[in-house]
Amino acid sequence: MNVDDWKSQIKRGTLEFCILLMISKKPHYGYEIINELDSWSILAAKESTIYPLLRRLMKDDFLSSFWQETSEGLPPRKYYTITDKGKEYLAAMTEEWNNLLAAIEGIKGGKNNGQIFE
Amino acid sequence: MDKFLNEYLEQVEKCLKPLAVSERIDIVKEIKSEMVELQSEGKTAEEIIERLGKPKELAKAYLGDLISQNNYFSWNRVLAVCAFYSLAGFSGLFVIPTLGIVAPVFIFCAIITPILGAIKLIDSLVNLGFPYASYIGFATITNPLAVFVLSILTGVVLYLIGRGSWKLLIYYIKAISKTKRHLSV
Repeated sequence: MNVDDWKSQIKRGTLEFCILLMISKKPHYGYEIINELDSWSILAAKESTIYPLLRRLMKDDFLSSFWQETSEGLPPRKYYTITDKGKEYLAAMTEEWNNLLAAIEGIKGGKNNGQIFE
Repeated sequence: MDKFLNEYLEQVEKCLKPLAVSERIDIVKEIKSEMVELQSEGKTAEEIIERLGKPKELAKAYLGDLISQNNYFSWNRVLAVCAFYSLAGFSGLFVIPTLGIVAPVFIFCAIITPILGAIKLIDSLVNLGFPYASYIGFATITNPLAVFVLSILTGVVLYLIGRGSWKLLIYYIKAISKTKRHLSV
């Protein structure tokens, strides 16, 4: 059974949410985000998705960025932090997400108390 | 840094022309930073380039996102749209309006042509002396009946061309939107 189309729709709908969630915990740089998302197969995304998305979130004022030198002789990294507007946006998304989960649970539980019709 | 990686970055920068210089530099700097980090983890230049994808595609991803923002009108956006479509291979700007006009016009003519042929035929039978419909096709054929038959044939051909153009347009739009969807994930 091929659920790939659906999976990619889900990913497209939640990537922004997941990224803001990650950045709200601590500043991240692009490669770090890609690696962290990679640990969940449903969220794994490529550079060509993540970097433009980060750029857009910055333009929308949900993120701000700064370049930081690294000590190990690696080039400077562009770190992203969440702005106040970003925190508001994240809170709104979190609420909607919880509503969604509650709705799904409600549908699963249902007025029939979980009876399955054969 | 590796020659191939530098070439890669140059190509990406070239494709990002519609964007402001400072933005281009920033984008390239970010990609380069990841490249060097990947190298330090032991990845080869080939692996890195394969992972990032074709430079044109990567640049397209940045431009595509720029277009879909809710910005006020700006010339940079127009340029980005042009660059996006030109990178897409060409022609969204041309194929869609062209086919969009060709299809209905041909179908319209396909309907008109036999109607005019019929008018001409009726005209000759009833001798109305209808002045406007005159056959400009094959010069040797003057028999109104033959003209009518030919007008039907022409109508059919025009209709087929019109319908073919329409199908092509739909197919093209589907292909492009599949690419756009692909681009956004």
